[in-house]
Amino acid sequence: MAIINLKKKEVQAKIVYYGPGRGGKTTNIEYLYKKFRSRIRTEMVTIKTHGDRTLFFDFLPIEIGKIKGYDIRVQLYTVPGQVKYESTRRLVLRGVDGIVFVADSLAVRRKENVLSLKSLADNLASYKKSILQIPLVFQYNKRDLLEEGIPLLPVEWLEKDLNSKLKAPSLEASALKGPNVVQTMKKIIVMTIDSLRKDLT
Amino acid sequence: MAQQRDEDSFRSQVEDRLDHLFQEDAPEAAEEQVGVVEHPLKNLKAVLLSIDWEITDSTMDGLLNEIKNVEYVYSEDKIILTFLQLLGSMGRYVKANKGGAHPEATRVINSVYEALEKVAMTQGMPRPEKERILLEEVAKFKRLKEQVVLRKAEKKEPAVFESSPAPPTPSPAPAPEPERSSVKEVPVPEEPRAEPGAEARFSGMSPHEAFAYALEEIKEVIRAEFRALRAEIKLWRESK
Repeated sequence: MAIINLKKKEVQAKIVYYGPGRGGKTTNIEYLYKKFRSRIRTEMVTIKTHGDRTLFFDFLPIEIGKIKGYDIRVQLYTVPGQVKYESTRRLVLRGVDGIVFVADSLAVRRKENVLSLKSLADNLASYKKSILQIPLVFQYNKRDLLEEGIPLLPVEWLEKDLNSKLKAPSLEASALKGPNVVQTMKKIIVMTIDSLRKDLT
Repeated sequence: MAQQRDEDSFRSQVEDRLDHLFQEDAPEAAEEQVGVVEHPLKNLKAVLLSIDWEITDSTMDGLLNEIKNVEYVYSEDKIILTFLQLLGSMGRYVKANKGGAHPEATRVINSVYEALEKVAMTQGMPRPEKERILLEEVAKFKRLKEQVVLRKAEKKEPAVFESSPAPPTPSPAPAPEPERSSVKEVPVPEEPRAEPGAEARFSGMSPHEAFAYALEEIKEVIRAEFRALRAEIKLWRESK
């Protein structure tokens, strides 16, 4: 849950990038950090394994600034995507206010996307949160590979597999090259802050 | 009505602030490069991209088959063939060890492929440049092999799978000829793996218990990381 200090007029929201292993969650955060480092003026924290995989989480705090008198901060987290780190993923989700589900567009990863979304729903349920109610944005990542002739899942399939019931906003993106990485982040921040707004008034 | 206006105003302020903070510069000019759409490497790249730590026999067999296909296409190009031998050797190693393979293996595979793609697709690249790139990748391969062997020695675990082809050693001129040896590689589990039934255990855990479990999980991985680092430092000292 967001930290809201009405006395100090501070709001801190937690957004988690969730999705299957090697889907591009860390790449999203790294892109934002590299591209806007001078403007964000914070440090990205990352703990990787020897094989360059996310061990615990990546963490990037962003100072949005004052809006309506409130000092707004957003913390972006990723979870480790590998199947074996289920308990870690659940811990990172504690207190989450908004989710970006980074789906892997590779055709061979169809099943992993579905399993990961199910694990997200289950983990949220363990905190008595519903995937139907939490601010959620889908990002269909790696779309740039289509130009290289790599077999990808059509967006319609991804929508049907993942978003047919949730009807959340979705964006096609390439975390590696940048298209829609910023838009995804903006979308989830706006939705998340908007959902917290009622607590500020 | 007033409340709706206030909500819209709040949202638009957030959007404006984000637009200001994350205003993207004009897109950089795209680098001129040859695509792989109709290139012989297209399928190989697709297979490589599908490989994850959750490696299956079918994906690895697909990789090895695709390497054979590309070898056929480039049967006259010894430099490309050497790249493919490197990939084949590491592919067989990863297939045999799957999740227990040295975590560096996947990174080296990707590095070798990227170098292969560069060499194969850059028109007019001089031969010495191709050989230089190849030698760099051979060096990475050798380092990986040493790390695997070193860990085998540290763990004193028995060798459990067949010999893989040795790293091809190219000579700067005229063309690299792969040499063969029979170094056995051993699967060394790098990271802790979830036990069967772990999920079921978590479901009944309190947050504190879940945290303690996760902490143990992390500790074990960190220990494995330190083991790997010590092995690398030892290797570095020996090379001095």
